[in-house]
Order: sequence, then C-alpha cells, then structure tokens
Amino acid sequence: MHAYDFAAPRSIRSAIDRAGGESAYLAGGTTLVDLMKLEVMTPSRVVDINRLPLKGIRVDGNGLRLGALERMSDVARHPGVRSRYPVVAQALELSASQQLRNMASMGGNLLQRTRCGYFRDTSTPCNKRLPGSGCAALTGENRTHAILGTSDSCVATHPSDVAVALVALDAQVELYGPHGRRSLPLGDFYRLPGNTPHLENHLLPRELITGITVPSLSWARHSGYLKVRDRQSYEFALTSAAVALDVSGGVVREARVAVGGVGTRPWRLPAVEQALVGRRTTEAAYEQAVAHAADGARPLAHNAFKPELLRRTLVRALTTVGEL
Amino acid sequence: MTSVGTDVDRVDGPEKTTGRARYSADRVLPDMAYAHVVLSTIGKGRIRAMNTDAAAGAPGVLRVYTPFQPLKLYPPPPGYGETYAVLQDRDIRFRGQVIGLVVARTFEQAREAAALVTTEYDAQQPSTSLAAGSPGVTAPDQGQGAPPAKFAVLAPGVTSIDQALAASEVTVQGTYTQGSQHHVAMEPHATVAVWQDGHLTAYCGAQMPQVHAVSLAAQLGVEADRVRVLSPYVGGAFGSRVATWPDIALASAAALDLDRPVKLVLAREQVFTMVGHRPAVSQTVRLGASADGVLNAVSHKSDVAMPMPTVGSWVMVPAQDTSGALYKTPNLAIDQRVVPLDMPPTWAMRGPNEAPGGFAIETAMDELAVSLRMDPLRLRLRNYATTAAGTGRPWSSKHLRECYETGAERFGWSSRPRSGTVDGQWLVGTGMATAIYPAARFPAAVRVRFRDDGTAVVASATADIGTGAVTLLSICGSDALGIPLSRVEPRLGDSALPPGAPAVGSAGAGSTAPVIRSAAQAAITALIDLAVTHPDSPFYGMTADQVRYHDGYLDAGAGRSMGFARLLKLTGTAGVEATANGGPGPEAGQYAFHSFGAHFCEVRGNRFTGEPRVSRFTTVVDIGTVVNAQATRSQIVGSVIFGIGHALLEVDPLEDSGRLAAGNLGDYLVPVNADIPDIDVHWLDIPDTVYSPFGARGVGELATVGSAAAIGNAIHDATGIRVRDLPITLDKLLG
Repeated sequence: MHAYDFAAPRSIRSAIDRAGGESAYLAGGTTLVDLMKLEVMTPSRVVDINRLPLKGIRVDGNGLRLGALERMSDVARHPGVRSRYPVVAQALELSASQQLRNMASMGGNLLQRTRCGYFRDTSTPCNKRLPGSGCAALTGENRTHAILGTSDSCVATHPSDVAVALVALDAQVELYGPHGRRSLPLGDFYRLPGNTPHLENHLLPRELITGITVPSLSWARHSGYLKVRDRQSYEFALTSAAVALDVSGGVVREARVAVGGVGTRPWRLPAVEQALVGRRTTEAAYEQAVAHAADGARPLAHNAFKPELLRRTLVRALTTVGEL
Repeated sequence: MTSVGTDVDRVDGPEKTTGRARYSADRVLPDMAYAHVVLSTIGKGRIRAMNTDAAAGAPGVLRVYTPFQPLKLYPPPPGYGETYAVLQDRDIRFRGQVIGLVVARTFEQAREAAALVTTEYDAQQPSTSLAAGSPGVTAPDQGQGAPPAKFAVLAPGVTSIDQALAASEVTVQGTYTQGSQHHVAMEPHATVAVWQDGHLTAYCGAQMPQVHAVSLAAQLGVEADRVRVLSPYVGGAFGSRVATWPDIALASAAALDLDRPVKLVLAREQVFTMVGHRPAVSQTVRLGASADGVLNAVSHKSDVAMPMPTVGSWVMVPAQDTSGALYKTPNLAIDQRVVPLDMPPTWAMRGPNEAPGGFAIETAMDELAVSLRMDPLRLRLRNYATTAAGTGRPWSSKHLRECYETGAERFGWSSRPRSGTVDGQWLVGTGMATAIYPAARFPAAVRVRFRDDGTAVVASATADIGTGAVTLLSICGSDALGIPLSRVEPRLGDSALPPGAPAVGSAGAGSTAPVIRSAAQAAITALIDLAVTHPDSPFYGMTADQVRYHDGYLDAGAGRSMGFARLLKLTGTAGVEATANGGPGPEAGQYAFHSFGAHFCEVRGNRFTGEPRVSRFTTVVDIGTVVNAQATRSQIVGSVIFGIGHALLEVDPLEDSGRLAAGNLGDYLVPVNADIPDIDVHWLDIPDTVYSPFGARGVGELATVGSAAAIGNAIHDATGIRVRDLPITLDKLLG
C-alpha cells in the first residue's frame, strides 16, 4: 500500500470537489482497502464519504429507496425489505460474512470489483487492472469465471449478489456529480467488458452513487435468491438466481429473472421471463422455460459445467419460489 | 482425584481468549525494525537484474537485501526443510521464492518499499504437470528403519502382484487424485529476532523448538548453543511449523546485520508459497478378492509431486501406513514414487501420508463392496488384520473391531436406507471408512521442580500448537504429584528447556505423558532425600523409605506430615527438581503401533445443482488412554473438519506457469461453520500399556484419515456417482 492523501468531507458537494485525478471514494472499505493492500488499486487520494447524509431506508407505495451508505446488514434486517422484497434481503444475507455486511455499504456493493484471481494478483497480466496487458484467465484457472457477456479481453464475473436481485426488480441508481443529479437503470449502469474491461460502469469522473430505488412491485413478495457455491457460506457464487413470480391458479402471470456468477455484469434473462408467462408452476414447465437461458454462453476450459448449472439453478430457484 | 480423562479447560484459555497471550508477531521490542519479503514472479529461471533504487530511497527504509546484496545464509541441515539457502544465488526454483528482503522503520514502509523493487528474469518453462511426469521415480528412502518405498509381500508360489490380482475372483481398480493443499494455520508465519552479546533469541512458531534452533543456527552459521527459540503460543501448525522456512533465518540475519531487533510477518499470500504445502498426488489402488469378499491382493501405487532436487526434502509415502497396515491380505505390493517438478516447497500436512493414502484405499474398499454387493462394514470385518503385513508383529493394542461396532450402533448403520434416499430437493446417502495412524513414540525429557510457594513446574521443550499440550503438562503433573491443576506451572515452547517430544506425528502427548510421571517420581525422590538429609527438616535423620509422599505432602506417619512448600521454606531451599528421560524401549521391535478409528457419515447432494453437504458424522477412535476429554474431542472434531475440507473444498491448482492459482484465503476454500454438522465423537479409552506405561497413544491426526473417503462413499451412495478426483465439487455431481 502506498502513501495517499485523505479527506473526510461532510457534504456531497465538498466530496465531489475533493475528488478527481487518481482519487477513490471510501465507504465501507471492504473492497477498496483490500485492493489497496494488494496494490491493485493505488489511489493518490482517498475521500471518505461516511460523513455524508446518504442514509435511509424507505419502503412505501412508491417502492423501495436505499441510501447509498446504508450498510448491507441494516438493509437485510429491515422488516419492510424482508417482507416486500425478500429477494433483496436474501441476496444480501448470502453475501460475504456478517462482519463484512456490517461494514459494506449498498453503493459500494454495486461498485465492488471482480474476484478474478488474476485481477487481484499484480504479478499477472490483466486488462481490467492494467489495460492492454492481456488476460491470464483465458488460459489460466477459470472455473469460476463468466460465460455470458465475455470478450477476448476479459472473462471476469461481476461479484455482487444484491445487484442481481436489484436488476431483476428494475432498480435505478441515483447519481450525483459535478454536473448535478441523474439516475440510471441499474441494468444499464454496468458496461460489458468489450475491449475496455477497465471501464465497468457509466459513472462519470467524481460522480457518486447517492441512492438506489426499486419501483413498487406487489408480487415481489413472492421472490427469492438462490446462490450456488462450493462452500455453504462466505464464498462468491458459481451461479445464482434472483427470481420473482406472479402466480395465480398455478400459472405464471409474470416473472422476473436475473442471474449471477455467470455474467460479466448482473445478467437479466428477459427471454426466460417471457417463456415463463402462462406456464404452470411445475418442474417440467420450468425446465422448458429455461432451456435457452445459457444460449450464447462461451464456456472456458474449466467452467464448461456452468451452462448446465445455470439452467439447473434457475429450475431450482423457480421451484423454490413457486412453492411459496 | 485425578483429572486425567476428564474435561479440563485449557489452562491458557483465558490468555488466548482475552488477547493477553503474546504470539510471535505480538512481540514489540525497543528499536525494532520491520521486514517484508520480495518474491519471484516466474516459475523457473534466473534473475538477470534487480532495481532496488526506489525501494532503498523510500521513506524509512534501512536496507534492501537481494542476491546482489545478500545476507549470508546457509542451507538448513539435510531433512530440515529446503535444500538451498535463500538470496545466495540468482536461480529461481519456483514462483513465490524469496528474492529480496526490505527492512524499514515501520511495517507499512517496508511493505511499500518492497513493492517498488523491480526484477528482470531470464525465464524458463517450469515443469508443473504431475500427470505428464508420471510414473515418477521410486521415492527416496525414509531412513530410520522405515520400510522401503517399494516392496511386495507375496504368498508362497505367487510370483507377482499382477499374478495374484489375475487369480482373484473379483477385482476393482481406481485412480485417485488430489491437488496441492495448504495447512492455512490461523497464525501466519512470523518471527521476531533479537541478538544480545552474540546470542540470538528468535520468537517464532515451532513444532519442535530445539530442532528449530539447530536448523536456524546452521542457516546462520553459528553454534547451536547461541540460538534460543521461544514459541510459547502457536496459532496452529498442522505440519507447517516442523521445518524452518526462510522467514526465520532472514529475520535473524537481518537483525544481526542491522544490530537491532527485526520483525518479519509473512502476508497470507506469501505463506502459500514460502511454507511447504501438501503436494498433489495420484494413487492407483487395485484390489483382488474372492466372491465372498476375502482379500487376496492389495496393490497401491502412488505418484507424488515433489520439488526435487532443488527444494524438497520431506517425501510423502501414502501407502505405507494405510494399505500397508489396514487389512489382512496374502499379497501386498506398494510402489511409492515421486515426480520432480518446479514448484513451491512441499511438506507434511496433518495425516501427511495417511490422509491421501486413506482416501485411496478406503474408497477402493467401498468400490469393492459395491462390486460384491456387500455391506462395506462387513467387508472390512471380513478382512480384519491381527498382525501387521510383512512382519507378522501383533499390534501393541488394537480395538478397531469395537470402533466399528460402537460407531455403527451410534450412527444407526444397520438401519440405514440402502442405496440412498430422497428428502425434498436432496439426495441422501451414507458411507463409512476406517481411520489408521501410526503411533510413534519419541524420546523426551521432562523436568519437574517443587517450589517453596507450593507450586510445581513441569517443563519440557515440546510445543503447544493449539492441541492443548500445555494443559496436558498440567494434567499429568497434577496427576503424578497429587496436587491441584492450579498449583502446576507448565512450561514448553522454549528450546532452552529439557529436550522435549516434537509436536509432530500425533506423538507429543504419548511421548511426554509417561515421562512426566517418571520426572515427578524422580523429583519426589529428591524431595524426600532433602527431607531426610537437611538438618532443618523435621524428617532429618530418617531413612528415605520412612517418608512417604502423597498429594503434595511428606508423611512419616504418626501425624508427622508436612507440605512440600513448608519443607522447602524450613530448609531454605527455593526448589527441588529432577529431570527424567524416556522413550521407546525393546517393545518397539516386537509390536506394530497404530491408532485406529471408524467413520460413519451421511451426506446430502442437491438433486438440481449438486452441492454435497455433510449432514451427519460419527467417529469412534481407539487411541489408548485419554488425558483430556475436552481436548481429545476437539482434536477429533478438528480432524473430521479437515477431512470435510479434504473431501469437498481444498485444492490449489498449479498452473503451467508454476503459479499456485488459489494462493490466498479467498480462493483456497477451507470449511466454514455452515459446512460442519454436529460431529458425534466417541473413544474407547483402553490404555495401551505396551506403547507406554501411561497408555496414551495420541490423537491429533488419526481422524483426518479416512474421513474424506467416508464422505466420498456417502456421496456415491446418494448419487450413484463415484468421484475419484478431490475435491468432490458440485460440477462433478451434475450427472
């Protein structure tokens, strides 16, 4: 870790003023500090935003609003989130460890960096960390890597769980920057790696995430998050699925489906959502609906199992939520 | 009332749980400097140049050492670790080798400066494939009377193991593979080194403090009596603190060169390549049996990855104490080979030979049972061995049959559903396997000292690597002296103490306990001698046999009784002590020595996504006398958890580049609480008085052996899928 300047402003405007150049915002620090110790991120200035007024959890008829500095653990235990958006609470509770969830912020969660082992090891090439240096994962250990949205430059997965749930629920991110406020659908917030995997989202320089909103969706009560991994806790997803179902009379009226652990960004599956509409809530029907979920996947040497695992993850998640 | 065999809380528990226990890295000395290592980033080759200007000019930096500006170091003695000395040449033997050491005023300065060192290499392609290198060459001899790495015991008239297999009515064959594994002890390797008047004190984690001191002295080129190793608290070892890895000598040499104390704490990622790990191994087991399950032939061949000849010294021999000792068979062949590779150092890890070996033979036995349509427990009982293969020696004490029977009853083995059941989304299966571990006994010396404050010191240069050894000194001292635990002061982890048993091979307790008893008896004799010869003693002038010692008192009958503290005060004696030595006797050549156990478990696999989760586990062991029930339970539970990691999670792939791909705790998965079910533990508590008069053989590693096989066998029962490549991850169970 290198020496760096440090600022802890009290207002959003002041934070934005102090950002710039090689600066980094510090919220929970669970990604930034970790990557600074590994020399993967080497900001010359750290702007601590924890004093900014970016807290608050609101659940009402308009939906859900989360301040960017809300801690994962506080959101996960909020009664309104738990009852009306169980997929969000579950995705949070299946993330990291309690200690990390107590620190990590919601805004920071959306911006966390990939867990690709080559990204985190400065002695290996990585286009995301050092543009143009190459991608060691293409020919290296890539069992955990992405199969959807990949490029010849990068096959790293997006690691967030809750982002998968939020993308399924059409969440928006509220942003505040030098040129004022704006908001973006979270699904559009993330970029595909293409030839520029170091550019992961559409944040402008110095821009901050100030909040997350989820539109009202009554049947989001019938939702759930399934995370499949080797270790039962404290591990990133091999595959995951965020599912919400509007079921009536044993038939799916509407569905929301997004998956994690397989994409270079949280991966919404609109075709699966459409294929589910009108189907009965049976395992066989789900299998048909997800048959093309992994179409277009580009498996690597060690993750050829992921397309099949993805389909099975979806059937399991749908079966579980369908029985609610 | 002795506390032997009861639940005794760790005597150092309060220190450890309140943070008062000072581990090596907790030492802060005046004027102490901080070191950080620089590691190679290629798998093989030679350093062409290193630029240390930026590092040397960075804030707080005191010195930068490299092969171009080295500290003088020598290789460890043969067998003590690696075979070369760091920084003495420009050769790169593996990726993650030490090529530099930066010392600065603070830890942060040292770490920042270390990152500024740049290195140019002439790189070569390392050899990294175990499969491509197999079959390897016959493993080097283990010495010390160990059986050869390759041997066969054949029935009269049988000319080869292949012939015996061909003549068997039923045969099974399987090749079982596993990748590199790491100890990942909670405490990363750390050293604080300080010199005074030409004498070095090194605070570091050591399973054998005196061996550490000898090795360290050799690496520094000084006499052994000028080096003292202090290791009172060790945050886990599992074999990772047997050899001296380069960190200790580097910190010590830098402290000498800079004439100030130096602390070197390895980053977790550095531990993965600087500290020897369990190498990858491929094992092929062939079994031949009659149609009713009587073994006719056992063949066990193994190929072990080994960083020879430049790095490695310890050799894994997986078959010797597993296939070579488990079952009665007229024909047995063992062929243990090594495959030289360019890889980070390898070393023994908990159940070093037996955990991998046990997985192979105990999975093969399950495959034979399946092939015979026979209960796997019945198959094992049918081939129960009463004498050791090859030598015909009986075991000092063997009650494996009772382990099987008790375990089966506790688990409900006979009423288990056959061939798996379904519970909602989960496929449920059961499996079992045998545990075996050699019961070595090492020479040990123990000193017992009565003190005039009414306490007694029990001291031996063994180590407590988290096992509870220090509590064992208290328990056995209290038992032998008849005084409460609170009046015993245990001491270990110091190379200046009487030469103790190494905390290796699960033999620390078994080797030390009997000698504590001898030392206590010798100290009592010395105390009585003082009592009858010192003019100020009320027992003065009596003969020694007129004075009896019991429960801290000297007693000459007729009301003439006195506590030892009072006697010492009356006679103006600060303390009376005696040192005893003990070790294996002639029985060593007449018997076979092993501990035994039986595992039974239930595993659930998700029918959609495959994840295997262990849901129930029962382990019953035969380990002789139990010293501390609580610590014994912890050891067995910990061993089974090791087995769960072995079976389901732990692997660090070695890339073509020579890079260990999962060299950190984010990618190298060890079990977490959620992976561990309630583990039902039971022991027979039958003393093995042939092994030692005390009767305790030790327990540390035994239950690690066979536990992975029991899990794999249960997964097969649940899913019908036999996975022979560890770990058994969900992708191998998607069917």
